[in-house]
Amino acid sequence: MADAWIRGKAATLEAASEEAASLLQRSRLPVIAGLGTDVAGARAAIVLAQKVGGVIDHMHSAALLRDLDVMREAGMMVTTPNETRLRADLLLLVGPGLVEAWPDLPARLWADQARRVVWLCPGGAERASRGGAKIEVIGDDPSELAILLASLRARCAGRPGGHAPLPQQKLNTLAETLAKARFGVAVWSAAAHDVLTIEMLCGLVKDLNTTTRLSGLPLAPGDDAAAVQQVSGWLTGFPLRTSFGRGFPEHDPWRFDSPRLIDSGEADCALWISGYRAASPAWTRDVPFIALTATPDGFRRPPEIAIAVGRPGIDHDSVQHLPATGTLASVAAQAPLNVISIADAVNKIAAALPMVSPC
Amino acid sequence: MLTRIAGGHVIDPANGRDSIGDVWLGDGRIVAAPASGKADETHDAGGKIVMAGAIDIHSHIAGNNENMGRLLLPDLRYGHSGHEARPRGAWNTDETGRLYAAMGFTTVVEPAVLPHHALQAHLELADIPIIDKAALTVLGNDDFLLSLLRNKESADALRDYVAWTLAASRGLGIKVINAGGAAAFKQNVRSFSLDDEVPGYGVSSRAIVKALQHAVCQLKLPHPLHVHCNNLGIAGNVETALATIAAAEGLPLHLAHLQFYGYGKEGPRGFSSAAARLAEAVNAAKSVTVDVGQVMFGQTVTISCDVLRQFNARNGARPKKWVIFDGDSNGAGIVPYDYRAGDFYNAVQWAVGLELFLLTDDPWRVFFTTDHPNGAPFTSYPEILALLMDRGLRAEWISRLPNEAMDVTTLPSIAREYTLGEIAIMTRAAPARLLGLADRGHLGAGAIADVAVYAPDRDKAKMFRKAALVFKNGETVVRDGQVLQQPFGNALNVRPVRDRAIERRMRDYYDERYGISPDFMTVTDSAIGRPQPFELVPCPS
Repeated sequence: MADAWIRGKAATLEAASEEAASLLQRSRLPVIAGLGTDVAGARAAIVLAQKVGGVIDHMHSAALLRDLDVMREAGMMVTTPNETRLRADLLLLVGPGLVEAWPDLPARLWADQARRVVWLCPGGAERASRGGAKIEVIGDDPSELAILLASLRARCAGRPGGHAPLPQQKLNTLAETLAKARFGVAVWSAAAHDVLTIEMLCGLVKDLNTTTRLSGLPLAPGDDAAAVQQVSGWLTGFPLRTSFGRGFPEHDPWRFDSPRLIDSGEADCALWISGYRAASPAWTRDVPFIALTATPDGFRRPPEIAIAVGRPGIDHDSVQHLPATGTLASVAAQAPLNVISIADAVNKIAAALPMVSPC
Repeated sequence: MLTRIAGGHVIDPANGRDSIGDVWLGDGRIVAAPASGKADETHDAGGKIVMAGAIDIHSHIAGNNENMGRLLLPDLRYGHSGHEARPRGAWNTDETGRLYAAMGFTTVVEPAVLPHHALQAHLELADIPIIDKAALTVLGNDDFLLSLLRNKESADALRDYVAWTLAASRGLGIKVINAGGAAAFKQNVRSFSLDDEVPGYGVSSRAIVKALQHAVCQLKLPHPLHVHCNNLGIAGNVETALATIAAAEGLPLHLAHLQFYGYGKEGPRGFSSAAARLAEAVNAAKSVTVDVGQVMFGQTVTISCDVLRQFNARNGARPKKWVIFDGDSNGAGIVPYDYRAGDFYNAVQWAVGLELFLLTDDPWRVFFTTDHPNGAPFTSYPEILALLMDRGLRAEWISRLPNEAMDVTTLPSIAREYTLGEIAIMTRAAPARLLGLADRGHLGAGAIADVAVYAPDRDKAKMFRKAALVFKNGETVVRDGQVLQQPFGNALNVRPVRDRAIERRMRDYYDERYGISPDFMTVTDSAIGRPQPFELVPCPS
């Protein structure tokens, strides 16, 4: 079976890498997007972006940036999955999307654990995920979450609860539960919330720490977004949506949003990386692109160049973000396959670029 | 290949050399002058100063907490100077290596690596070019250690655990940060001193420090236990520092960023310099070493595994945003801070650091740090060196600072000026000795060919900011402050002998407590993704 294709025709890896390098080299502004990859792949992709003067963006940047916006506007208090598991006497689950973000969440955080679990506005789909645990559900409609959190924060600060979507008595009880927690942990997934909701939640947690201990546990979006964000942090000094277009790293969540760059015509070429699963870009304009994915299928428009790559941690050893520990960790291949890793494929493309003087 | 650095003023205190002469490099090492006297390459160092590459023993340059700081403060840069068309100094791994190398630094120690986050720290260190690196592994707020002490287990069990953690996290030494304080904070304790006990364990901070100090001695680790004391940054905390110095009890102990503990309660504002008392105690306690953690004015960010202290400091954040991270053991707090020359407290802090440098007699026991980035970014080192070497410059600064602040310090009365020889001890010879790095910090035959050449200047800061030449492993990496090439260095680590039974015990512990294997925290060569990322430092047997 072929492992590389140029305009749909099977090619050698060498030929495909050269063609990809040539496409990136000719580009006015290439984006390196998707970035569903591990630490090694992210390192290679960022070094390549530096060489070709491109932009780096992750397919889950929008969710990453919501938590990040709250952190860098106001700050937050956070803890680890391990501490939550070991120490939390109160688990405050906030909104939908939690089990989707971390399928092991029920097993790690509340199965067989003697702790109080309160779920605010879980939404329909996840009610089934409760397992046998006794979970108190407060609020049904996720769209009421922001106002519920605002009322709760007001009550916890000793102010009137306003137009809470709850009876006053219930709101008071919930506020008391939080105040009495010895080490409470609020769990959320940014994919399900807007920035102001997350900021309200983080503000509530901060307020409560004036007298007791609470912390937050933001769940990372998938496709190893958390690992890629960390690598971007140390290699560039910035989170994702960072550009090397002017020869030095610049970060801007709007300017360097890859779908926007391509749909507006500012970027004219892409390297799309999705190593964990088949995922397609969100942009709608047709630009020539290179795909590094497990299979070259499933795109609205076929890629100019495709290279079949291994799935990190499944087909080859990998360093990735582990949801269970909240750290970067080594993950041994489940069933090693003789297939090129994303890092090696990216490095091959980089090696095929003409030499440029360092900036 | 033989390289000759010719005719410079060679200052090499470890070998008693302070004279005009040559330094020869061959195959990455310092070599004796060859009989032939012929070099393949000669660099004229006439009129210049030649020293070994500098070593920084305490600078937060890598790890998840540092990286959280980057995400919290995307505007913060190294040496930011306003509106530039092409901003340099992005706060990333690349610039970290380049800027250190440009100043003639060739080895830097990241002093706060949490065992569960060690892999990320080493991945970051591996991406810092040019310099060699090392990590200190943080213990002292971890449940396993506290449980060993609560259950009064043997010193051997503790020793094996320390050795196991060092090996897994690839550390060069052990650091303890507000021993027990982070664990106590999780139980809603808001202040924690040397003789306070961690709730639920009944173990005092002092007992943790002493147990770790003994384990480090028992394992014969080259670097003494590296201590971040309790009560950082609080008026009157000199008493804590004095008590910790006394607790060394004649055994090696290193106290980090002592400036942050040099505060008395005198004066109209109840905040004063106690540096003179502290320096006197350090001078008397010969087994104790300290580094200063000098404060310089300007925007920075404090990044510390002392979660309790950072939580208590949160409302002073400048700008007003902060992160508190309750980690598996220590965690961290990231609190941005802008030290202001017009601020009474900040001016006192600045003076306390300089007093400690100038009132401590022995340059072999006082180390040059800003606790980067906590007191100031490491890019401010040249200005600090200039202040140490020039009392006229100090007087100029003092004249611009609040009088009431200078009134509660002794700094204006101190005339001492550091000599180049003392600077070479403090930044080269002594750090190598403190870390057990026999082939660094000097220019004797056999040493690693890490060399810095400076062009003397009346402006000392200018001299130290841009080295005329820097050699790393014998290669020219910097000329006139400009980086010529970026090879990647190693991370230095120790691997003390340990009882194999500890492996099984740790597997069982992780399985029972966390429901996972400890493999997730084990740093392997292959995970780093660079050839030979580590270099082993021998422990004396």
